[in-house]
Amino acid sequence: MSARLQVSNLVKRFGGLTATNDMSFTVEPGESVGLIGPNGAGKTTIFSQIMGEHRQTSGQIHMGEQEISALSTPARIRRGVSRTYQVPRPFPEITVAENIRVGLMPDSVWQMVTRGADRDRERELALAVGFAEADLDRTPAELSMGDLRKLEMARTLATDPKVMLLDEVFAGLTVGEIATISALVQKLRDQGMTFLIVSHDLKALEPLIDRAIAIDRGTKIAEGAYSEVIADAGVRASYLGGGGDA
Amino acid sequence: MLQILIQGLLLSGLYALIAMGFTLIFSVGRVLNLAYGAYLLIGGYAYFYFSQQLGLPKIAGVMLAGVLGCVLGLLKYQLLVKRVQGVHSAVEIATLILAVVLQSAVVLIFGDSSKILLPIVPGVERVASAAIPYSNLVATIISWAILIGLYFFVRLTHTGRAMQAVSMDAKGAAISGIDANRINMITWGISGTLGAIGGVFFASYTQLYPGMWVAPLIIAVAVVIVGGIGSIIGTLVVAHIVGFMEIIVSSWNPELRGVFTMLLIILVLVLRPRGLFGREEIH
Amino acid sequence: MNLRWYHFAAWGALIAAMLLMPRLVDLGLMGRGTLRTMIQACYLAMFAISWDVLSGRTGYISFGHPFLIGIGAYGTAILSKKFGVPVELSIPLAVLITMIGGLVVLLPALRIKGSYFALVTLAFMELMYQLVQVIRPDLTGGTRGLSGIKTLTRGAENGYMLAVSLMLAVALGCWLLMRTRFGTALWALGQNEEAVSGSGLSTIRLKAMAFLVSAFVAGLAGAFLVHYNGSLAPRAMFDINSVFTIIVAALIGGAGTILGPVLGAFFLTFLLEWLRPFLPGAERFLVYGAVALVLYMYQPKGIYAIIEGGLKRLWGRA
Repeated sequence: MSARLQVSNLVKRFGGLTATNDMSFTVEPGESVGLIGPNGAGKTTIFSQIMGEHRQTSGQIHMGEQEISALSTPARIRRGVSRTYQVPRPFPEITVAENIRVGLMPDSVWQMVTRGADRDRERELALAVGFAEADLDRTPAELSMGDLRKLEMARTLATDPKVMLLDEVFAGLTVGEIATISALVQKLRDQGMTFLIVSHDLKALEPLIDRAIAIDRGTKIAEGAYSEVIADAGVRASYLGGGGDA
Repeated sequence: MLQILIQGLLLSGLYALIAMGFTLIFSVGRVLNLAYGAYLLIGGYAYFYFSQQLGLPKIAGVMLAGVLGCVLGLLKYQLLVKRVQGVHSAVEIATLILAVVLQSAVVLIFGDSSKILLPIVPGVERVASAAIPYSNLVATIISWAILIGLYFFVRLTHTGRAMQAVSMDAKGAAISGIDANRINMITWGISGTLGAIGGVFFASYTQLYPGMWVAPLIIAVAVVIVGGIGSIIGTLVVAHIVGFMEIIVSSWNPELRGVFTMLLIILVLVLRPRGLFGREEIH
Repeated sequence: MNLRWYHFAAWGALIAAMLLMPRLVDLGLMGRGTLRTMIQACYLAMFAISWDVLSGRTGYISFGHPFLIGIGAYGTAILSKKFGVPVELSIPLAVLITMIGGLVVLLPALRIKGSYFALVTLAFMELMYQLVQVIRPDLTGGTRGLSGIKTLTRGAENGYMLAVSLMLAVALGCWLLMRTRFGTALWALGQNEEAVSGSGLSTIRLKAMAFLVSAFVAGLAGAFLVHYNGSLAPRAMFDINSVFTIIVAALIGGAGTILGPVLGAFFLTFLLEWLRPFLPGAERFLVYGAVALVLYMYQPKGIYAIIEGGLKRLWGRA
């Protein structure tokens, strides 16, 4: 259930602003990579391009052998790449179970109509991310930020991904909730899931990744083992806000 | 040729006036105010009532129509839009219902049949082969005067700048101490006035009947969207494109006039929903 | 679909009650006029269901539904009257034309969002109104419309049985459809379109399917209505008042619930009927509008939600 994600020479310009500057990296099957950098470094923009929510100015994105950058977002999700959002995007007026159901649906109206919901799988996913049985019938309006992130994880998992892109999954979570999500990520890693993770919470991030990529102003400034990347002068400088020239 | 030029200018000025009242609301409140059409209707009938049934001077009729439109705009904002603001489909539906209610009120008072508005200024000027009713000429001149006044109001006055600020970034404007509620009230008031006066001219250009507001409403909204939300210059340019196209098509085949306008609007909306001059919104 | 015993019971009771209405006339408990009113309510209910399937859940508000109804109505009227096509064939053909025609013109419009969609649908209705008067008036009857169209039934009872069977079939079909995962997906679409796409579902396909079902119902109801009335007039059909009546029926009944719009349609039609002695003319829209506005501002989920809430309280299942 794993695949290689490869980004080659990715460039994204918004008008005069270069949000992604000649970015190349590979996430091997079963590997977990952390994407770190200061606010506005362009981490989320890379996610959006991988998912096809923003079309890149130039460059390629491969899932396994296949070039996916001409595909629509749903088509990419069918190829096995899926993401969570920094600001959770639940469906506020339907239940937690139904939210997960949307993620589980096949992209075929015929199958949606002819086959019923897989309630066992919905429950399994909800429990896996740390929901209680009673939460299944609640609506997102009644949930905490931590619960919304769990729901986001569950719906992403429901699309049956091979590569998961996690965007700030720990933001706004309690220590207990961070532990739940971390344990889930560890379990999925053991099962061979591939991860690309963005997080500001470096302490929570470190144990979840095999290596790290640091970016600043859309450019990759360091790549390698977490300790090396974090010790890199450029990375330290960019986190302190001085840019690369300090 | 001259005929087309003159008629095009006359119609376009009218469209620009109607669209301008709409763009104010759309850019400040971000709501598709379908009841904007009702201003046109109320304006047209108010003028008819005051100047033709009560026999007041025509200028008083136009003014009173404007005042009524202003009051209507303020009431609508206070009683309706404020309550459902933020949910665009709710605003659309609520304003649609209101428009139909006002339309049926008009039918109740004035009946279903169409009324003939006497020209605001009688007489016809002939230029080459073109006949220009003074009435239309006056309407165009007044439209332009209002448009120019509005342009400078928005650009130069404190209130006008505050309106611009709210339209660009409501939250930012609130932080910098702008009273959004007051700005909204002013905008709805001006918009109602412009709509009602536009209605007087539009009714004297075409005819006055209870369903007269739908087509100009669609045209106004389309002009605003295509011209770029909140762009006075863009609205002016597109109003002229639509006005001239309509005149050109109707000189070729008068029956296709309405068909063509709707087709043009649909095509542009579908192909370029951000408009020709609109600023691209980030995310 | 998760059907429970009370679903079967409620539907059974509804169908039985509706089909037994003509017996009330036989018993002298109800006038024939009421039956005719109910026929109108049935057609309005179908239009409101059609609107509800497209707009009730997705938040894509259609202001141009008479456009679809008009294709169905004109389709079968022209085919049967001008080309002598038998009604058994002209109605299915008209429904097919509605679906294809509607999809071809409105599919591009599904790319645009919110207010823009509402506006484009309104423009389509206005376009259709202009077109039928100009293009081939020999077929469409121009401004005057068409009359002398073959009617399918004679007498109030037969007309009622036809209308109510159609309405019940449409309502049951759409209700079942909305209880599938497709219905859930449409709710989700109305709440967060990006997240639906981010869950791997093609939103265009979902919207197009909702639109096809909506067009099917609108075309069907429009075609049968024209064969009930025997005539059609463009001004009455492509009127902002008819858009208004359809939307208000769906809204005050309860958007997104299918059964709500049926309730709303009957409520509105009978409201009008009861008011007729006091308000014979155009005032009715004033009353409609006032009722709709008040109900919409205070309970946007409509009568259905009020009844549902009441029943739940009655049975103590919160």
